[in-house]
Amino acid sequence: MNATRSVLFEPVARGLFFVLHVFAVYLLLRGHDLPGGGFIGGLVSAISWVMLGLALGWSEVGRVLRVDPARLAAMGLTVAGVTGAAPMLWGRAFFEQFFWHGTVPFLGEIHLGTPLAFDAGVFLVVVGITVKMIVVLGRSTSGMRAFPRVEADRYFSILEEPIEGPASTPKEKGGTDAG
Amino acid sequence: MTPALAILMVVGLPLLGALPLAMVGRRLGARTAWLALVFPVVGFLALGWLYGTHEGPTRLVSWPWVPSIGLNLTFGIDGLALFFALIVSGMGVLVVFYAGFYLDGHAAHHGRFYAYLMLFMAAMLGTVLSDNLLLLFAFWELTGIASFLLIGFLHEQEGSRRGARMALLITGATGLAGLVGIVLVRQISGTYSLRELMAAGGLDEAPLAGAAMTLLLLAAFGKSAQFPLQFWLPNAMAAPTPVSAYLHSATMVKLGVFLTARLFPLFHEHPYWAPIVSSVAFVTLVLGGVLALLSTQLKAILAYSTVSQLGFLIGYYGLGPSEGLESDFLHILNHVFYKGCLFMVVGIVYVATHAKDIREVGGLWKRMPLLGVIAGIACAAMLGLPGTTGFLSKELMFKEIFVSPRAHGPLGVLAVVAVVLTSLLKVAFSVRLFQGMFLGKEPASVAKHFQAPPSWMLMPPAVLAACALVLGVAPELLSGPIHHLHVPGLHTPTPPELHLWHGVTRELLASMAVVAAGFGVVAWGNRTAWRWAVVPRWLQFDLLYDRGLDFLGRFAKKVTRVSGADWPGAWPRVPVATLVVLVGGFLWVRFPPGEVLDLLGDGLSEHRWDGLRVLVAALIALGALGVVILRSWPAQVVALSVSGFMTTVYFVLYRAPDLALTQILVETVSLVLIVTLLARFPRSAQEGEDVDRRWRFRQVVSLVVAIGFGIMMTAMGLLVTTRPHPNRIGGWFLDNTQPLAKGANAVNTLLVDFRGFDTFGEITVLVVAMLGCLGLLFRHRRTTGEHRAGAKGAPGLGINTAHDAGEGRS
Repeated sequence: MNATRSVLFEPVARGLFFVLHVFAVYLLLRGHDLPGGGFIGGLVSAISWVMLGLALGWSEVGRVLRVDPARLAAMGLTVAGVTGAAPMLWGRAFFEQFFWHGTVPFLGEIHLGTPLAFDAGVFLVVVGITVKMIVVLGRSTSGMRAFPRVEADRYFSILEEPIEGPASTPKEKGGTDAG
Repeated sequence: MTPALAILMVVGLPLLGALPLAMVGRRLGARTAWLALVFPVVGFLALGWLYGTHEGPTRLVSWPWVPSIGLNLTFGIDGLALFFALIVSGMGVLVVFYAGFYLDGHAAHHGRFYAYLMLFMAAMLGTVLSDNLLLLFAFWELTGIASFLLIGFLHEQEGSRRGARMALLITGATGLAGLVGIVLVRQISGTYSLRELMAAGGLDEAPLAGAAMTLLLLAAFGKSAQFPLQFWLPNAMAAPTPVSAYLHSATMVKLGVFLTARLFPLFHEHPYWAPIVSSVAFVTLVLGGVLALLSTQLKAILAYSTVSQLGFLIGYYGLGPSEGLESDFLHILNHVFYKGCLFMVVGIVYVATHAKDIREVGGLWKRMPLLGVIAGIACAAMLGLPGTTGFLSKELMFKEIFVSPRAHGPLGVLAVVAVVLTSLLKVAFSVRLFQGMFLGKEPASVAKHFQAPPSWMLMPPAVLAACALVLGVAPELLSGPIHHLHVPGLHTPTPPELHLWHGVTRELLASMAVVAAGFGVVAWGNRTAWRWAVVPRWLQFDLLYDRGLDFLGRFAKKVTRVSGADWPGAWPRVPVATLVVLVGGFLWVRFPPGEVLDLLGDGLSEHRWDGLRVLVAALIALGALGVVILRSWPAQVVALSVSGFMTTVYFVLYRAPDLALTQILVETVSLVLIVTLLARFPRSAQEGEDVDRRWRFRQVVSLVVAIGFGIMMTAMGLLVTTRPHPNRIGGWFLDNTQPLAKGANAVNTLLVDFRGFDTFGEITVLVVAMLGCLGLLFRHRRTTGEHRAGAKGAPGLGINTAHDAGEGRS
């Protein structure tokens, strides 16, 4: 899939990567009052990662991102859960929202609420699972191991020994994978 | 010190301490034991204080947990609770101390081990101390989970995994029956509180009492490994020996006894109480004794003898007189002393010789005389020689059982036969166990591998043996505490008369006859070299269990195959057709077709024929048509996403920017996802070669279902737009998004605020689905040998469907 690199696609993807990320965070932040939000922002961010992977190769995504995207998703779930459960520590209702409204020099009027933290959790979950699934599938179809060696232990049981190697050639694949 | 603090120290501390223990375990290694020892010691001291201040059944504390269903953290004590709690924490001290030496060197993951052990101890103490039946159930199941983790501690071994699964399935399933029984009790009496139930007295008269009693007894029988579920306990012996000594002899399996004792005041006058309890329990008593004599594994002998003794302890409540019982605490205490001690002795023998089978050891008296003395005392208590608590227990057992034929008729006769026969068997296997380990000739393998155990390791079994000896010689010491702990309604109000010498009674004569006969059996066994001591296949109930599980796996496979669910193309028709029949049928009956046709006509004539809308609709339809007509997968996917992207235009036209944004992004991501997934398939499949064109009939069915679905959706669309729901919920959210959620975007406030919990559920599902996908996509390729052996199912589930091997995949 990435055997040939495109002279045009590569720099465009690099440039768009940052622009899209700024846009994704912008969507997340404004989501409470204007179209946007964690889900949409997360998808935009995921698309920019996928584009990076398509243009520069899937191993590049791992190199830039550094964390296992599945961990991002888990982190997001934790953030969302903690936001929901935290009010209970003070005897308040599950998922009760709290906010702060005021003016900050240079930034103007600011509205910050716990829903934003929850939305950030959603954002992370969406980015994490989308990038994870696409990177894993992408790697396996472009001649690499589906998981980098460090990650393999997390997904494979020690009870069964042989681990699937890089995606095999189409001829031998039909029998085992398509079923 | 207050009662609340005491409960926190007893139950809360080990419950909370389990996690930190697991974390520091990696650093401390074998020394974790000394840290873990703090918990049972503190618990024991706090319970000692409670014992000192105990004056009768009291409720100590009640913290609300889920008050709406009557589930509260209500703890209370009475004699029974205190008695069991003292045993659990006292044994906890000894077992943790013992485990410190046992695990040293030959196991990793000390932190995890002690964390599980403390979790178990907390659950156990919670079960016996809780006053709320639902809370009792929660702790009850927690003991089962902790036991699962501990049995499976050496999870690299297949035997451990099998034993752990078996224990979890059986105790868990019967525990659920107990939950139903608890709910029924609440229906009958209106309360979950044990104390209130005890105060109100028996439930025998209520219409559902029989059902509630049977279900609760099922839970007790499952936990205490009663017939026909006795097979899980010997398989649980795959656990490290400290676990066997603690969970599977002294404490957890006694929960069944505990529950039966709890139920006694409530149900013992029910006509089915005595028949159910004593028939099951006395069959178990004899069966356990027989199996213990026939087994050769050291731990299996002890496990079956535990099963047998549990049968007696439970059956004892079945035949109990209505004015109350006298010596159940003595029987339980006696069993804890000798069985806990013997398990520890067997563990030491294993550490010293690595032998697990009685035929592989022998002649250890010369090497470990002190251990021999300890084991000798414990075996003497097991078979009931004078001077041990076992003798007292057996005397009282005979005394009580010999009068039961008068009160219970044939059931009592069965009990007498069972008890006498089992006492004989008990003498035989106790003597065999002792002589097998310590007398006779030393096998060469023992001489080669012998390694002296650390002498401190002998301390815990020595303490237990000393208790059995001292209290056996001076039983008067016991009658005070036992009376102090007596429970009104369960026990007789007068203190028990315990003496070493009761005079020449018929019990003593029977006892002497039984011991003599037991030695006779041993002599005969020695002469025949115990060749006949093999458990016959028809008594190995775990084989039936295996066959049942195997059948379940094969049955599921068969259903999958017959219903065609393993061929993804087959199943979308089923839900879609069901929808068409149910919803379409409802619409057909409710709204005459003529009305819908009129609506369609009105819509077509009145609607402004807007060029953009027509174009978009045509493109969507074209895309859908493309999916049907095109044959290559990538082309189909692209056609499908044309439909998807074009739908976005409609969202824009109807001013739903959030939906439009989401739709376009989801469409993009799923297109990339599906295309990368398709790349994993062979090119021939992608080109559509695999589509089975022979089944014209199936295609016709699909066509009919699809057309029906299209008509149904059109009708629904027309009906919904012309008859809006009278109470639309959308308006409420639009009105309240600013004042309540402080946000202007109603879609977003709905997602993260009003329905935040739903969203949380959804993202949880997403993460779980991702993990599932990764597992499914990258399951392990099997080796040739494994292929030949057949599909194994998910790892750890143990579903082995060997007959699938030859069939291959379609």
